[in-house]
Amino acid sequence: MAGRRAALKAIDWLAFAERVPPNQRAMFNALKTRSDAIGAKLTSLPEKPVVIDWAYYKSAVAKAGMVDDFEKKFSALTIPEAADTVTAKIDAQEQESNKQALEYVQASKARIAHYQTELEKFNNMIPFDQMTIDDLNHTFPETKLDKEKYPYWPHKPIAEL
Amino acid sequence: MLSRLVLVSGPVLKNSGSFGACVVQASRSLQTSHQNQAPLPPLPEKGGQVRHGIIPEELFTMLYPKTGVTGPYMLGTGLLLYMLSKEIYVVNHETFAAASIGAVIIYGVKKFGPDVAAFADKLNEEKVAKAQEVKDLATTNLALAIEDEKKEQWRVEGRQMLFDAKRNNVAVLLETNRRERLHMVTNEVKKRLDYQIALQQLHVRMEQEHMVNWVEKSVINSITPQQEKESIAKCISDLKMLAKATQAKANV
Repeated sequence: MAGRRAALKAIDWLAFAERVPPNQRAMFNALKTRSDAIGAKLTSLPEKPVVIDWAYYKSAVAKAGMVDDFEKKFSALTIPEAADTVTAKIDAQEQESNKQALEYVQASKARIAHYQTELEKFNNMIPFDQMTIDDLNHTFPETKLDKEKYPYWPHKPIAEL
Repeated sequence: MLSRLVLVSGPVLKNSGSFGACVVQASRSLQTSHQNQAPLPPLPEKGGQVRHGIIPEELFTMLYPKTGVTGPYMLGTGLLLYMLSKEIYVVNHETFAAASIGAVIIYGVKKFGPDVAAFADKLNEEKVAKAQEVKDLATTNLALAIEDEKKEQWRVEGRQMLFDAKRNNVAVLLETNRRERLHMVTNEVKKRLDYQIALQQLHVRMEQEHMVNWVEKSVINSITPQQEKESIAKCISDLKMLAKATQAKANV
C-alpha cells in the first residue's frame, strides 16, 4: 500500500497547460476534468473500512461458533486486487511518443536549418540599388524570364505583366 | 537607385564594349575565356558628363592643358569650316531636313526630358520598393518561423507530463477500486451478522407473543360456566352497591 502512495506524482497542471499546443487544448481539458473527477472520487471514499465489533457480535449471536468462524475467516481474508492491465499500454504509448517526438524534433531542426539558410541568403544579399538584372535572376530564380518558352518580348504571359 | 542607363539602354550598353568614358558594367556573357568571379563594382548613378548634349567632357579636359578653355571650340569651328569650305560636307536639301528634325528633337527633349526621366525613375523606384518589401516580409516571416519551431520543440519536451498524468489516473483508479472492495466485504459480513441478530430477536419476540396468547387462551378456556355466573352475579351486586354509594354521595 505504501508503494502506491509514492506512485502518485504531483502534477503541475499549470506548467502542463503551458506546454499544450492550442490545437490540443480540448483534449487537455478533457483529461484534466477526468483526472479531477477520479481524484474527487478517491477522496470521497474513507481509507479504512468500518471496523467490525466482534465482541458485541460474539455476545449477541446465539449460534455457537458462528461469530468465531466469521472472525477467523474475515481476518484471514485477503482481497484480490484488480490487475493492472493498462500500465504496460501506457509505457508502450510513451515509447511511441518518445520516438515520434525525436523524429519531430529532428524534422523541426531540419526546418530551422532551412529557414536559417534562407535568412542568411536574405541578409547577405547585395542591396537592390546595386543589382543588375542578372544578379536579380541569380538571387530570385523566379524572376528569370523564360526565353525558350516565350521567345517574344515580354517573355512572359501578358496576364502576368 | 538603379541608374537610368540600365533601364533604358541596358541591353545596348551590355552589348557595346567600352563606350568612351562610361565604366563597363556589362554582364560578362560575351567573355568566353576564363572569367574571374570577383563581384562587379556598383553601377554609376549618372552617365558620363557631356557638354552641349553630345560632346564628352573628357575631350575638353584632355585639351585644356595645351589649349586652355577655348581649345575644343576652336577645334570644332575649324573642323566645321574646313568641311564646309572644302565641300567635304555638301550642303543640300538633306541638310535642311536634318536641321529641322534636329531642332524638333532638341526642343522635345528639353521640354519633356525631365518628366520622362522622373517617370522612369518612379517605375524603377516602385520595382525596388516592391522587391524590398518582399525581402522584409520574407525575413520577418522566417524569423517568426524559427521562433515557432523552437517553441514547438520546447512544447514537445513536456510530453512526459501527459504520461505521468495517465499513470496517476490509473493508480488512483486502482486504489479506489481496492477501497471499494474492502468496504464491500466488510459491509457484507456485517450485514450477515446483523441478519443473524435480527433473526434471533425475531424468534424471541415471536415466542413471547405466542406464549402470551397461549396463556390468555388457556385462562379464558379455564373459566367454567359456573364461575362465569358467579362472577357476573358478584359484578351486578358490586355495581348495585356502587350505585347506592354514589346516590348517597349525590344526595349529600
